Amino acid sequence: MADGLIFRDVAKSFGAVQALRGVSFAVTPGEAHACVGENGAGKSTLLKILAGIIRPDRGDVSWAGAPLHCDNPREALERGIGMVYQEMLAFRNLSVSANIFAGREIATRWGRLDEKAMRARTIDLLAQLHVPVTADTPMEHLSTANAQLVQVARALVCHCQVLVLDEPTTSLTDAEVDHLFRVIATLRATGVTVLFVSHRLPEVYRLCDRITVLRDGGFVGTFARATTSSDDIVRAMVGREPPTRVPRANTSAIASLPHCPTASIPDGPIRPALSVVGLTRRPMFKDISFDVASGEIVGMFGLVGSGRTEILETMFGLATADEGRVSVDGRRVQARSARDAAQAGLALVPEERQRQGLCFNLSLQHNLVLPLAAKQGARVIDRAAESAAANAQAHALAIKAPSLQVTPDALSGGNQQKVVAGKWLATSPRVLLLDEPTKGVDVGAKFEIHRLIRQQADAGMACLMVSSDLPEVLALADRVLIMREGHLRGELRGDEATEEAVMRLATHDVASVADGGHV
Amino acid sequence: MKRLWQVREFSTLMILVLEVAFFTWYLWPTSGGHPFFNVGNSLLILKYSSIYGIAAIGAALVIITGGIDLAPGAVIGLTSVVTGYFFVQADWSLAASAMMGLLVGLSAGIASSWLVVGMKLPPFIATLGVMGIWRGVGYVITEARFYDLSAKLPRNWTVGGVSIDWVPPLVMVTLAGMFQVLMKRFQWGRAVFAVGGNETAALFSGVRVGLIKSSAYITAGVLASISGVVLAVVQGQGKADLANGYELDIIASAVVGGTSLTGGRGSVAGAVLGALIFGVLRNALPQIPGATFYDRVIVGLAVIVIVVMDQVMVRRA
Repeated sequence: MADGLIFRDVAKSFGAVQALRGVSFAVTPGEAHACVGENGAGKSTLLKILAGIIRPDRGDVSWAGAPLHCDNPREALERGIGMVYQEMLAFRNLSVSANIFAGREIATRWGRLDEKAMRARTIDLLAQLHVPVTADTPMEHLSTANAQLVQVARALVCHCQVLVLDEPTTSLTDAEVDHLFRVIATLRATGVTVLFVSHRLPEVYRLCDRITVLRDGGFVGTFARATTSSDDIVRAMVGREPPTRVPRANTSAIASLPHCPTASIPDGPIRPALSVVGLTRRPMFKDISFDVASGEIVGMFGLVGSGRTEILETMFGLATADEGRVSVDGRRVQARSARDAAQAGLALVPEERQRQGLCFNLSLQHNLVLPLAAKQGARVIDRAAESAAANAQAHALAIKAPSLQVTPDALSGGNQQKVVAGKWLATSPRVLLLDEPTKGVDVGAKFEIHRLIRQQADAGMACLMVSSDLPEVLALADRVLIMREGHLRGELRGDEATEEAVMRLATHDVASVADGGHV
Repeated sequence: MKRLWQVREFSTLMILVLEVAFFTWYLWPTSGGHPFFNVGNSLLILKYSSIYGIAAIGAALVIITGGIDLAPGAVIGLTSVVTGYFFVQADWSLAASAMMGLLVGLSAGIASSWLVVGMKLPPFIATLGVMGIWRGVGYVITEARFYDLSAKLPRNWTVGGVSIDWVPPLVMVTLAGMFQVLMKRFQWGRAVFAVGGNETAALFSGVRVGLIKSSAYITAGVLASISGVVLAVVQGQGKADLANGYELDIIASAVVGGTSLTGGRGSVAGAVLGALIFGVLRNALPQIPGATFYDRVIVGLAVIVIVVMDQVMVRRA
């Protein structure tokens, strides 16, 4: 027991925020151990302490019987702890080989870099991990999945005995996840201990023997996979009963909207709120046509790279279409900027809230009113109106924040996402475009965001939601549009939209779904 | 409502007060009037500081959008030349000549914004080029001569009953107040901060990013030109090599005033206070026996010390 990876009473606070309140648990050598918890549960802080990036206020971490000093990222590496981070810590301008050896270059006695040896080792590793890139490829040309595998390779170069993976599957497709998991399984066979941090319980169940749950910086418990159901884990994570799914539209939501003719007669003469005809932007997507009615939630599903995000950005005026037409309430929209689109009644909640959604130097209040002001073309700031608008959104969306004067970095991922949604809802759009609205948010916030989208639809908004989370699409959408390689491959409504049917349309051939092996 | 000491500019103001107190104490005379702490000297400091201060308002603007402007020194120099040319050579009125001078900054700002926004050049490179060209044009026009404005300027000149010496500081304070309000109470200012904080998010939010950035460079150019007119009148000269190297002092003023070079943070009032801090240093150091040859060293050290002090005070607040 004493020779595993042991966290003992680890505590850390940042200012007034207690990120970890004395967490103790042990990872036995050779096992695959999961660490799960909602955003803000303290997982990232724990990993940073393990990696030697931040020092704990109290407590210690030991590995193989000797304590880790946790004040130097080099030490963790030298002790055989390899990290694969959620956000790519890559030197994008350097080659794959240079990335794998960054900071630990092989050099001759005189300090000259031994490029030949490093390339040879890189080629070995890439073959071992089945990464189809060359040692000299610049990192920026790699897909997310391959970049992640390069991080694994980097850990292997350091002869790691513990491989720590922080949310490694967030932006991977199912096939890529399969590949990563196969690599991890191979490594485990050689005796490597795995610590896997994730939101995605199916993956946790697939990979790990034991599961440690953190909540609000505290340790809840370590559970054996064999004897615990995923509902129990969710209950431990959120500290309450697992939320039920938002009612499926074709059963109750439409029934609850008898007054809404478009919902009951979608093909009738009523003008759709959003109409897209022949939208083309080469080489991303071609000839995309669809309608979204008022009060309807349409899901757009497709694998990463199928052109979904590009469609939304083109509709929203952030890129120019080669051909095609977008209309809102029958009026043609020729948006050349997000401002034009906002004035036409469109709103886009973008995929990457950190990069595209929030200004981290501005307060929540200022973030919340930014698109509204841009849409109105306001000159002087009416501080009372601004404060009222921001407060209304914060209240309606139940944004948990100490005050609206703090900057977004004080908020958890789920609450940040609500701010991004709120800043657009403040413009009272006709059409709400959502790109991966629940990416990287925890179970509780995900449910709240789903309910929020349903509420907006019930209030008559037309919602188009792009998501890679198939259960989410199936649970929330009234209709599902399926994209593949820049083309719209099909549309499924209501009960036709099953996981199998959607995947069949979204992947190349029927066979690959069968052996694609999403367990 | 924020308490006074929570206002960002408060720490910069405190540093200025401490600085003035220090020199007042250090230069305390054994007999007679105080050589540093008197009305005449204060006016001198204000007058010369406003040359840096007015341009520093523009520098702060550009830096808050996440850019940088290296051209203000060159713009100030060429403005003095152009103003001098029309005033002395072409015998225009001073007001009309000054207007022509302002075109120098306007053109420099338009050029920078075209290069940065239109051609997507890195601001450092774009404004480095503009700096070279605008500086060079001064030499082309003057051919190593200079225009002597002082001979034509009236003596004991008053504008609206105020001595001409008071005009530059008044212009600086008025402009600082105006831009402080524009930055805090107007959508334009909010957009400037948003662009500097996260350009992509601003674009996705419907902010006209290109327009905001252009407006910052053009405003900075015009403000530098106003500094140039002030310098031409104060020095009584229009000369191609005036204000050489001022761009770094101007950027330093903005930074000392709390503007972050990474964009998204800063204030124009702070930039003006920063310019005053350097103005006091430049005025007081030569009065200390033996310090003359060290003044550049001390100014350099001051940049580092003040930014560190400021960070400490901000962290406390």
